[in-house]
Amino acid sequence: MLVISRKSVENLRAAIFIGDLKAKSDTEAIRKMLSALDGRPQVKDFDKLAAAVFERQQTDPSLFPGGIAFPHARTDSVSALVMVFATCKEAILFGNMMVRLIFLIGVPKHAGAEYLEIISFLARHVRGQQTVSRLVDAKDLSSFLSAFAEPNG
Amino acid sequence: MDDSEEDKQTRRLSPLFRRLLKIKVWLIERFRLSERQVTLIWAALIGFLGALASEGFRKASELLHYVATGSNLGIISSFAQLPWWQRIIVPATGGLLAGLTLWLGNRLFSSVRQKTTTDYMEAIVVGSGIISVRASITKSLSALFSISTGTSIGREGPLVQLSSLVASLVARMRNFPIPQRRHLVACGAAAGIASAYNAPIAASFFVAEIILGTVVVESLGPLILTSVVAAFTSQFLHGGEPLYKSPGFNLHTQWEMIPLSCIGIIAGFVAPAYLQLLRWTERLISKIRIPIPLKLALGGVIVGTLAILNPAVCGNGQGLLRSLFHQGWFWDEILAILLLKLVATATAFGSGVVGGVFTPTLFIGAAIGMLYGQAILYIAPGLQSDPAMYGLVGMGAFIAAATGAPLMGILMAFELTLDYALAPFLMVNCVVAYYCSSIFERRFMYGESLERKGAAFFNQQLAEVNIRDLVRANPITLPKNATFAQIAETFVQHRFQHIYITDKESRLLGAVSLHDVKTFLDRPELESVVIAADIMNEDFPCVSPGQGMGEALHKFSAAHCERLPVVDDLSTQRLIGSISKTDIILHLAGDQNR
Repeated sequence: MLVISRKSVENLRAAIFIGDLKAKSDTEAIRKMLSALDGRPQVKDFDKLAAAVFERQQTDPSLFPGGIAFPHARTDSVSALVMVFATCKEAILFGNMMVRLIFLIGVPKHAGAEYLEIISFLARHVRGQQTVSRLVDAKDLSSFLSAFAEPNG
Repeated sequence: MDDSEEDKQTRRLSPLFRRLLKIKVWLIERFRLSERQVTLIWAALIGFLGALASEGFRKASELLHYVATGSNLGIISSFAQLPWWQRIIVPATGGLLAGLTLWLGNRLFSSVRQKTTTDYMEAIVVGSGIISVRASITKSLSALFSISTGTSIGREGPLVQLSSLVASLVARMRNFPIPQRRHLVACGAAAGIASAYNAPIAASFFVAEIILGTVVVESLGPLILTSVVAAFTSQFLHGGEPLYKSPGFNLHTQWEMIPLSCIGIIAGFVAPAYLQLLRWTERLISKIRIPIPLKLALGGVIVGTLAILNPAVCGNGQGLLRSLFHQGWFWDEILAILLLKLVATATAFGSGVVGGVFTPTLFIGAAIGMLYGQAILYIAPGLQSDPAMYGLVGMGAFIAAATGAPLMGILMAFELTLDYALAPFLMVNCVVAYYCSSIFERRFMYGESLERKGAAFFNQQLAEVNIRDLVRANPITLPKNATFAQIAETFVQHRFQHIYITDKESRLLGAVSLHDVKTFLDRPELESVVIAADIMNEDFPCVSPGQGMGEALHKFSAAHCERLPVVDDLSTQRLIGSISKTDIILHLAGDQNR
């Protein structure tokens, strides 16, 4: 059982949820998720955030077995950690992996520990295939977060 | 057959051989002299040689004094016999000669002085234990002129200097390592003090408490041995009487313990003012832009003028102390000579005369104590106080307050008088004086000088160290797409706090800190998700070989790290190595160990 900080719990609750994201490519999927962040108070410079996420994807796309992608960036274009979760009924090709769950994360440079904690939490909880299925089937953020709380099958 | 016979022989001999070998090893282990024991032997020799050097200086001083005044009496008596104009001429000429000696020495031996030191405290605390012979002799010769001609400065300064020089020479001849060399120079200093005051215990504690800053047995043992040998040698040459023999004090009533225990408070409050006066005079005289010979001659003229009023201001104050304790001085006489002595000592000290202020300080403390004793006698005649007793306690308390060394103050005053009845009062008053003085004073008599020398030495060492010389090539690096697993593995394999992240052209991109990731090292789920670029600090400070060590230390303090990356140029940022704080410290230490 991984214990996470109150701050991370708040971050999870403040995340944006996109159910059944449809996109033809990973770039399109990320762009759609990023657009959900446009205008958010935590986002100081949207273009810079987008550039940072794509640059990070180019360096080494973060993929997790079971069809999970973690496009993310540590950038000062955000003042606090921001997250967008997306589920895809129709898997999208990220690199050479078909992805059904996408966690987009933007984190300020000074919040390294916070970033590692949230990534660690997410990565650990999506290892079970049943959890992934429950997450993909989630209708909204509430049910999405509840899926984490249920025991892995 | 022959072979087997030989084998038998070997088997027969080998137990005996082994036994002999064991005995040899046992003997070597038991009787081999350790470094500490060797130091102790040399310390004893230094005590003897130091006392001889002090005696040589004393004799030379007496001879020169005779030449200058035509009298072989003490300084005060000689000056009392001189006409008024000669009382000015003698110290002025002495000052001029002392100044010329320093001026000439500075011109001739400046290159020597840059490589070594002339100051025994510096050699012990921050130096290499090497004292410049020529520059030391120059200083001692200068002190000889000043002291012989009546300047109000302590003779103990050059005595300690010469004893330390002898110790330094012995240590150099034996090619001892730096720590041992420093320790032996400290022994030399203790020998000088012990022979100057015939006070071996106080001499040991003077060096231990004030210069070494520690009274641990390892350092104190050789100091005690040196001091005792030096004191015995001096006693053999002069006799074993204490410098200020106490007539034997008794309390007429136990009520006297109260005023007697309050001397420390007065000494503790006056000593900081005295130290301020010395500093103020030094600053004032340093503003007079005249050559050093003229400056010392001017100091001599001032002392000579004061000597017209009262010849007792001349000399280090040792004769004056004897007179103070053994002749019945009135309070107004004590006050007058105290003020004159203060001016004379501050002038001599401020003008840069080579010598010490220890004995003049003892006198000032004694005079303050005597005045206080006189006041008590006047206010409470029923106590039947002996002002001399107050004077002796005041002497110890004042020196403790001025030097910041209460232990030494207690022992010094006790050894100078050898009166056990005074011991409890000395103990109380020295400690109280030290605490009162500490309220106002952070830099005591010798501490300030040591502080200045320490800072100057450190700055010089830093200025000489070049980052280029200390760069360690091939630092541990990872590319920016190194996985979290690789980062964790690298931290496990190498005991570094930071891993530098570079690109293909070896340009420094940042550093991953162990502190940032240590909590997550046991989380396998991060291994494929997180890479170095996600967690590196892009603003990690770096230095270039052309930068000074001061800048490197400044960046070390800002980054709170053990190592800093070194790049070829701050604009191109190509990583060429790293520099560590430990390497800088080792370099500084190694520089001294050469």
